[in-house]
Amino acid sequence: MFFYLTKRGENMKKAAMSLRERKFRRIAYIYVLPALLFFFLLNAYPLLSVLWDSFQIKNLLNKAVSGFAGMENYKEVISNEYFLGTLRNTFIWTVLSVAGEYILGLTSAVALNQNVRGRTFFRALVIIPWIVPIVVAGLTWDWMLSPDYGIINYWLTSMGLIKEPVYWLGEMDTALLTIVFVNIWRSFPFYTITLLAGLQSVSRDVLEAAAIDGAGVRQRFFKIVMPQLKTVSLTIVFIHIIWTAINFDFIWIMTQGGPLHSSETLPIMIYRYAMQEYNFGNASALASMMLGFMLSGFILYYLYTARKSRA
Amino acid sequence: MKNKLSLIFSFVLVIGLLAGCGGGRNETANTSTDTGNSPAKENAGKTEAVTLNFWSALDPSSEEGRTIKQLVEQFDSSREDININLQVISYDVMHDKLVAAINAGDAPDISWGLSEWFGEFNQFDALMDLTDYFNSWEDKDKIYSNVIEAYTVDGKLKALPNYLGIRALLYHDDILKEAGYNGPPATWDELLAMGPVIKEKTGKEAFGIAGSGVRSPQELIMYLAQNDVVIAEKMSDGKYKNTWQDNPDQLARAAEVFQFYQDLLSTKTIKSDAKTWGWEEEDQNFALGQYAMVVDGSWMQTYEVAQPEEMADVKIAAPMYKSTPATFMEIAPLFIYKTAKADATWEFAKFLLGAEYQSAVNLNEAPRTDIISDSPWGRDFMALAETGVVFPAVSLGGITNVMQDSLAKVLLKNEQPEDVAAWLSQAINDSLKKTGELSAE
Amino acid sequence: MLMSKKKKNFLQAVTYIVLIGFSLYCVFPFLWMFVTSIKPMKEIRSVTPSFWTSAPTFMHFDNVLNNSAFLTFFKNSMFIAVTSTVTAIVISIFAGYALSRFLRFRGIKLFSVAMLLSQMIPGVLLLIPLYLIMSNLGLINTYLSLILAYTTFTVPLCTFMMKSFFDGVPFEMEEAAEIDGCSKLGIIFRILLPVSLPSLVSTSLFAFLNAWNEFMFGFVFINDESHRTLTPGISLFKGLYQTDWGSLMASSVLSVLPVILLFIFLQRFIVEGMTSGSVKG
Repeated sequence: MFFYLTKRGENMKKAAMSLRERKFRRIAYIYVLPALLFFFLLNAYPLLSVLWDSFQIKNLLNKAVSGFAGMENYKEVISNEYFLGTLRNTFIWTVLSVAGEYILGLTSAVALNQNVRGRTFFRALVIIPWIVPIVVAGLTWDWMLSPDYGIINYWLTSMGLIKEPVYWLGEMDTALLTIVFVNIWRSFPFYTITLLAGLQSVSRDVLEAAAIDGAGVRQRFFKIVMPQLKTVSLTIVFIHIIWTAINFDFIWIMTQGGPLHSSETLPIMIYRYAMQEYNFGNASALASMMLGFMLSGFILYYLYTARKSRA
Repeated sequence: MKNKLSLIFSFVLVIGLLAGCGGGRNETANTSTDTGNSPAKENAGKTEAVTLNFWSALDPSSEEGRTIKQLVEQFDSSREDININLQVISYDVMHDKLVAAINAGDAPDISWGLSEWFGEFNQFDALMDLTDYFNSWEDKDKIYSNVIEAYTVDGKLKALPNYLGIRALLYHDDILKEAGYNGPPATWDELLAMGPVIKEKTGKEAFGIAGSGVRSPQELIMYLAQNDVVIAEKMSDGKYKNTWQDNPDQLARAAEVFQFYQDLLSTKTIKSDAKTWGWEEEDQNFALGQYAMVVDGSWMQTYEVAQPEEMADVKIAAPMYKSTPATFMEIAPLFIYKTAKADATWEFAKFLLGAEYQSAVNLNEAPRTDIISDSPWGRDFMALAETGVVFPAVSLGGITNVMQDSLAKVLLKNEQPEDVAAWLSQAINDSLKKTGELSAE
Repeated sequence: MLMSKKKKNFLQAVTYIVLIGFSLYCVFPFLWMFVTSIKPMKEIRSVTPSFWTSAPTFMHFDNVLNNSAFLTFFKNSMFIAVTSTVTAIVISIFAGYALSRFLRFRGIKLFSVAMLLSQMIPGVLLLIPLYLIMSNLGLINTYLSLILAYTTFTVPLCTFMMKSFFDGVPFEMEEAAEIDGCSKLGIIFRILLPVSLPSLVSTSLFAFLNAWNEFMFGFVFINDESHRTLTPGISLFKGLYQTDWGSLMASSVLSVLPVILLFIFLQRFIVEGMTSGSVKG
């Protein structure tokens, strides 16, 4: 389908397209072909079935009833008692996680790029959170944060920082923020490594020249280093917005969205619809809405930058 | 520069080649075992051997896990006509894996499971009708009759018991003694009266509950049963309904249960944290001697290894109640799926239910009346089998979710017990309606 | 001289403080895992938790290595992770190059949207469709099912990463090579990749870890122990009613250490890449 659309669009411009350009186009399509094959093999069908099912009555437990549902699934999902809260949680969860991860990732990458003794050692330590299997990391944090036999509460109380142990994952106002904290711990090393790699493309000569011209450390960082990191940063931030928004494991392992849905995000809700109630119509409607939210976010950003670059 | 690059590329190349070889070798290894196996069997038995896929959630590194593996192997080698392909899948993912496999038409022949999944899998129409097999089995009278009843839908037996997780009241005798009590409470009111005293004299809470997670609906239906109400009743049209809203007496009784939860909290009979405890916190804190009493299962015995001092004074009694003695009986099922190899699967199921296997693996929790261990961890729990209540045979996913929500409304939001009871009643019926299991009456 | 000596010392001190802070944050849970793995059973769960153990023991390591199929899981994970990483990286190099240089073609734009969309499907909703696809292809319980799945999951990000690195390489370099008679393939492998080596390594690391850590599909596609991967294997120590903490932690420590060693070997390619001489500004 994509190719067909493309061809028609291109045909009109065919006359204007040079021989060289056409050769490039052929090369371009050949280069994306393997990736596209994988996409069609494993992603296209689930993606289309999510969109399709969102307009169908589809409950695996009640196969007798089926057929076109119109907007019924969407209505049901939106009228769910916890929909708005969950949407809010997803937003908080995504924004805080990605912002925290980026700040920590950038700081640690810059620090690890300095010429200090024991660099290799520090670098090896920083990636540990990323390597520990998520299930084990979740269980370990869950344990360390426990009010009765967790080391964090034990230390905090014996140091006198808090009077009573706090049930970090069991209180409605701390549960989500605690998981955000753990999620940042888990994900920031990926930023560190990527940004560290990006920092290598910053030329020492340019930095030295700027220093000779009298640019301070701060100025050099924001005027020379940051612009070099811009494309890489945008890529990892965007992709992490998507990943964090659809992330399921950590929250499920640590609180299952509780207490009383206070740490529930959209993917948890989708999981409940799909694997606990087997209502794939509702689950797909919710997933499609999420897809819509994220896509419109990206489109808005695209329009914004397009306009800015024109101005 | 060139050197490093070529190093990397040769590395990649070598890995790629290795990968190619590895894959190839693996495939040939697979086919060779296949072809290697079947002629051997044919020569030996002259009959076509069937292979059964058996998904079990045993713990491969535990003594029990090793026993199970060994017994299954023995069965496998004692039967020329049946091969067992034992596959270990942990409970964490067993549910999702079974759902995916069932819906792809690729279910195993027989598997372990949780009692909560029974209604759903039955609704999927994935389970085999075992009635005739069971009725012709010489040992059928040895299985607890209320257990078989629990897995019988419309007169058809749809699952078998693997083991029984009956709940009893466990108590730290030393804590009760310290507070001046000789024994555990028999009723809710006694418990609520003991709560503040124990807290004052020992500094520890009297009781523990699971306010959230899979355990909390199990505890809730137990307390409901102790006050003579059930979450869904079977109506004359064969479908189910929560009848609290049609029946003021039932609604009041359900509200009393929620009131009991609130009283536990307000009298400090339970820790404030317990309102959101899951089963792990409930069990671990009891094992650590952090509070005096809990309604829990016989697996608590395993904590004796890790917490020998704290668990030394633990004793077992019947759960306290309000108007009728009742406890939750978890019947861990053996699911037998619709399979072409029905006869062979039944033969294997008989072995798993047999006296030899059950006394070796489930001595404390056997579903057979003729296997009861002398240990209090077996005998005292089995004595409660007759008062055991189970979940109704409906799809429970949505229902257990709203049951957890109802507890959160009561314990976290402090909502009125009557309102929560009415809300839960409606929410259960809504869930039944969605799955097409709601009675029209 | 970039700055005064005093300022330099100050920044040096700040760097150390930051690094030590980060290390503690990162390593704290891992240390807890390690200490747990050498504690005797009686000390593991306690109301007075501590990093100290009076009687360190290797019984949990012994249990993991001798009583479970840990080594098989390890071998399987290594094979699957390496294979899918190599496949994903090769595919992404080409796709990323196309995205970087030929985004002007509408088909390529659509392709990038498709890659983005593919990341937005929640995992649960992939479960049944992917199981169906794999069982139709007859791939359930094979390495190939996981290799295909992990490659598909990682290709989009790797592609975007490669694109953003290639974007940073000036087009003039490529044109010069083209005039010298270099083919497109030659340009990618002889000019772009050497320059992007640090990023190539960090992207591979991502693809590798993604496959190494994946849990859900590792369990759903694989039935028997001989094909099982590490993370699902480790989680077998978590039982229905009780968790064997000692063994769980011991096996996690054993699964983390080799990757750290691999990283220590790889990290010099990330920071000492070949960029120093070839690209400027």
